[in-house]
Amino acid sequence: MSNNNKKWFSLNLGRKEKVSSGSCSCGKTSGGCGTSSNSHHMTDDEFAAAAINASIGEERTKDGFEQVFDVKMDRRTAFKKLTASLLIGAGAVSTSCSVISGDESREKSQIDWEEQFKGNYKLMTDEEKQATVDRLVRSYQLRTGKTLSMSSKNAEEDVLFGYAFNISKCQGYMDCVNACVEENNQDRDSQMQYIRIHEMKDGKGFNFNEADDNYYHEVPAEGHFYMGTQCFHCDNPPCVEVCPVQATWREDDGLVVVDYDWCVGCRYCMAACPYDGRRFNWSKPEVPEAEINHNQHYLGNRMRKKGVMEKCTFCVQRSRAGKNPACVEACPTGARIFGNLLDPNSTIRWVLENKKVFRLKEDLGTEPKFWYFMD
Amino acid sequence: MKNNIDIMSKIVCFSFFLLVFFSCKHHENEYHSITDKIEAESKNYHGTSISSEAYIGDIKTIEITEGGHTFLIPERKSQIKSYACTECHTKPLSQMQSKNLKKAHWDIKLDHANANTMNCITCHDGTNMDHLTSLTGKSIDFNNSYNMCSQCHNKQFEDWKGGAHGKRIGGWAPPRASMTCVNCHNPHKPHFESRWPARFNTQKVKERE
Repeated sequence: MSNNNKKWFSLNLGRKEKVSSGSCSCGKTSGGCGTSSNSHHMTDDEFAAAAINASIGEERTKDGFEQVFDVKMDRRTAFKKLTASLLIGAGAVSTSCSVISGDESREKSQIDWEEQFKGNYKLMTDEEKQATVDRLVRSYQLRTGKTLSMSSKNAEEDVLFGYAFNISKCQGYMDCVNACVEENNQDRDSQMQYIRIHEMKDGKGFNFNEADDNYYHEVPAEGHFYMGTQCFHCDNPPCVEVCPVQATWREDDGLVVVDYDWCVGCRYCMAACPYDGRRFNWSKPEVPEAEINHNQHYLGNRMRKKGVMEKCTFCVQRSRAGKNPACVEACPTGARIFGNLLDPNSTIRWVLENKKVFRLKEDLGTEPKFWYFMD
Repeated sequence: MKNNIDIMSKIVCFSFFLLVFFSCKHHENEYHSITDKIEAESKNYHGTSISSEAYIGDIKTIEITEGGHTFLIPERKSQIKSYACTECHTKPLSQMQSKNLKKAHWDIKLDHANANTMNCITCHDGTNMDHLTSLTGKSIDFNNSYNMCSQCHNKQFEDWKGGAHGKRIGGWAPPRASMTCVNCHNPHKPHFESRWPARFNTQKVKERE
């Protein structure tokens, strides 16, 4: 259908570059494709009815067990279903091709179609990554009239990101949490936050059962110390292992990322993570338009939708550009250190080699790239 | 019949070796641990194209080399509002404490160590206010005031040189620019104040009820 060899099927709905053969992908040169005599122009209600029929059909009256074990899929029903789903497809095409709808809505549905059927980001070539990012930017522009910049920058060679956290420096101010929420466009309604700062009693070690990660009193409190947790970007990440659709993976620079458009929201990764590093969008994330951070990365802080996982990405949109993550920049005590583990002259390497560092649950073999140390 | 068994056992043997050969390839876990991986992969580190230079911004910096570490720190003298000090401090301090002269930074209270250890002239040179003075009376430039602090805070100084104490300016990538002591600590009152946390999650409270 399309001129370049993509890995997925895409319709060309009213794109200008294909006008040579006709105004529309249905092949008609004159008139909308919905106007021909034998075409079936559906109203919205009919469309919905057909969609439901095609997807569940008779099974509406059956319970789950019967639906699975009592399917009599003879050739006739199979064909019936096939025709119905084709009808839906035709409906979608006719809506987007119809002459009544404007150029913008046509472009919108073209983008929606291509976004719907795009592949896994992990498998995309650089051009495909750029194309999906362009589509998302254009889509945002069409919907809100505002522009944003979205990057699809890949991992750089000779870079492996690592993080160190100084327990004796953290005072529990939580400036990092604020900076993170703002930087990463996290849902304000559910007050989602990637970072948790735990207030722990001195002399009790890391006792997470007695720690408080939602304190509100003057800090630092007497007889307490503070430590932060977030996604540790394990080098052997269990969350990646369990993902049934490979929507999350470890990039070459060590970042564990999520393709929000490929995630099916099963939350296996949430269960597999031993550090509670992952967050789920139970509702549509709401961020006031004025507070949206427009400097985005496909794998980072772009707007998420309902029902997908998200997590700390070490601010991929910042770190791959050479900046420190927002939490590191916001920390007023200098308790957070970030850098390239492969650079022998980096400050993070000095910390690892000269301070007494340790990691959480090291015995699990997850190899987190997040070290704690004390003065 | 015997021939058949022979061939069969050969095939079984061959496929066994094939299986062993293929199943022993660990592409994912080439290294035993992350520290091994870091060590091995950084052996032929060639540097990256990523630079943090742009993010240092308008901050005027100077390059210093301390204990084998070379990095940038913010220039200090231009940030002190009434530098050079000798513009006002034309006379020795004892003569300036008279009542009829205009007052300046008279409200500074020293909250740093105790009176046995420190007073103004532990750091300031009464005879030349444009410089700091070390414990042995050597002159220290305001730009390199870390040399002042490091006389007592030796451990922090070591950590700061390496990068474990203090904060980076700009980003993680080279060139390294780090804040110097006085960018975070007021030398007259160096401790961090206690205050309220920047946020409180009311939703979390509801969830846990």
